[in-house]
Amino acid sequence: MPQVTIEYMIMIPILIMQIFLFPLTAGWIMNTWVDSRRTLALQEAASHLGSSMQQIYSSLNHAAIAAGTVTNKLDIPPFIEGYAYVGNATLRTALDPALNSSKILDITLRLMGVSIEATTSVTLGQNVEWQQNSTFMSNSTYASINAEKQSNGVIRLSFGT
Amino acid sequence: MEHRERVNLTASTIDHLVAVTVFLAATLLFIGLFNQTIQTAVIYQRHRAIATKASDLLDTMLLSPGIPVNWGQTDSNLTGFGLQDPEFTQYRISPYSLMRLRSSVGEPVYYNATGQYYSNVTMGDRNFMLVPYNLALDYSYVTRLLGINNTYGFQLTLTPVVSVSIQETQFANSSATFNVTAAGVGFPLSYTTISYCFLKVDSSGPDSPSYDISFGTVNADDTGSVSINIDNVAADDSYAFIAYARLSGLVGMGYHERTNDHEQYVVPFIDSFEEGRVLLAHSYNVHVDETETEATVFYTATYVLLTEDFILREMPIITEKEHVVYGYGTNQTFGNLTIPTHNPGILVIPYKTTGTNRDGVVLMPWGISSLAFPVVFGGDPQKQEWVATDIRQVIVGGIAYQAKLALWSLEGYQVNG
Repeated sequence: MPQVTIEYMIMIPILIMQIFLFPLTAGWIMNTWVDSRRTLALQEAASHLGSSMQQIYSSLNHAAIAAGTVTNKLDIPPFIEGYAYVGNATLRTALDPALNSSKILDITLRLMGVSIEATTSVTLGQNVEWQQNSTFMSNSTYASINAEKQSNGVIRLSFGT
Repeated sequence: MEHRERVNLTASTIDHLVAVTVFLAATLLFIGLFNQTIQTAVIYQRHRAIATKASDLLDTMLLSPGIPVNWGQTDSNLTGFGLQDPEFTQYRISPYSLMRLRSSVGEPVYYNATGQYYSNVTMGDRNFMLVPYNLALDYSYVTRLLGINNTYGFQLTLTPVVSVSIQETQFANSSATFNVTAAGVGFPLSYTTISYCFLKVDSSGPDSPSYDISFGTVNADDTGSVSINIDNVAADDSYAFIAYARLSGLVGMGYHERTNDHEQYVVPFIDSFEEGRVLLAHSYNVHVDETETEATVFYTATYVLLTEDFILREMPIITEKEHVVYGYGTNQTFGNLTIPTHNPGILVIPYKTTGTNRDGVVLMPWGISSLAFPVVFGGDPQKQEWVATDIRQVIVGGIAYQAKLALWSLEGYQVNG
């Protein structure tokens, strides 16, 4: 009688549970893998975007460079696994705003349709401005970085739209 | 018959138990290995992101002069970090901005008379660069200026590319022979031009210490070496030998000194970058030792700089002897002098002590490159999980340096771009 109990009352429910357990586990692992892969790709794009922004600023930020506008078409993918991504940025000062300190541009990319984000920060000088409400759209024909150097030395950055 | 049935049931149960256990173990093993693969990919990406950040950050430091642009030559606080020389473009670094970085390796020096700690870069016995903490930039403040506080840590090091070694090889008939060898990283600087300055301390006259100074230019052989003979040098003379080597725009420097007093000397403290003011203290007042008796050190001072056409030139600062004392109830006193230029050079302070007539010479760089002092600024990369490094070849005050940035994340396994 004890053997029958073990076999039919405990083992069979466990085996039935495995029918559900295996696909659930496999699904969870695959979701984790896919999310990680997308996150890595998005972070790579964010890193590239930030690095490009910083290099454009460094190139323009010298007295020998005359006023004008520069547009940089970015070498980043328009889609990550079929999903486009959007970017926003905010500019903040490193110290108290009254101190005229260097500025930090925080760039956030979001994968559309899934809740995945990546951020990067770029250190810039005090003579930089960021165009409010400027949005980066990865699959846009005009996905780029714009930098406008003004005659007073101010460099105004924005995403191409 | 009953007995046989019971045996079959038991065997079947064991089969089930083993099969289920093996299956669960295999599932757990699979999850573990898969997670490990994902983690490896995440960490790889994280390391890549840190490497990109290191490159960007190094350019931010080296390609911007900071705010205000001439902060290295002033005593003002800065609000934007950058090391570029404001008079140049590209990777030309200000030798004064580098002086204002608080050294990560030297033990800080406390000077009682000013009540301040000093960032300490000391090379050899008598070559000092002591910068007060209120003028030397703190690492944590710089991370705030760069916007990486609590996210990244870094260490910035600058080391000279060209080494110029000087050895006294022979001493006979009141003359000394010096062997000067210039080398890059793993190769000699063949046929390099070497400009040198020899300063000998004279402590015999009533107005001593005075000094005799001579200059010269020679060419090295194919191994980058040359022998230089200096006349009128006695066995117990104190001197400083300074040499610059240049080859096709690559410039390095080296120095060698001999001193015959190892106890008392003058310690120079930078007091103001803006005014070029340097405080001079008796060594006993700095390295406090209450057992010492009263003592006086006499000194003069001169400034040696390399001109744009690579000729060494002297600019006397104190020609009449002055003194600093220890004891006599006045151990809070110090002398001071003003360096009248912002062209990088070397402050040379010949000195002699009372009674024993022992003398020596102290060197201090004005502009860190003039004595090719290395720079180590920032945190300690030794205990970090993973460190990305990037390098640039830069020019600091005309001297070739290599700038290296080591960067690490402070955010654990979270990946930031």
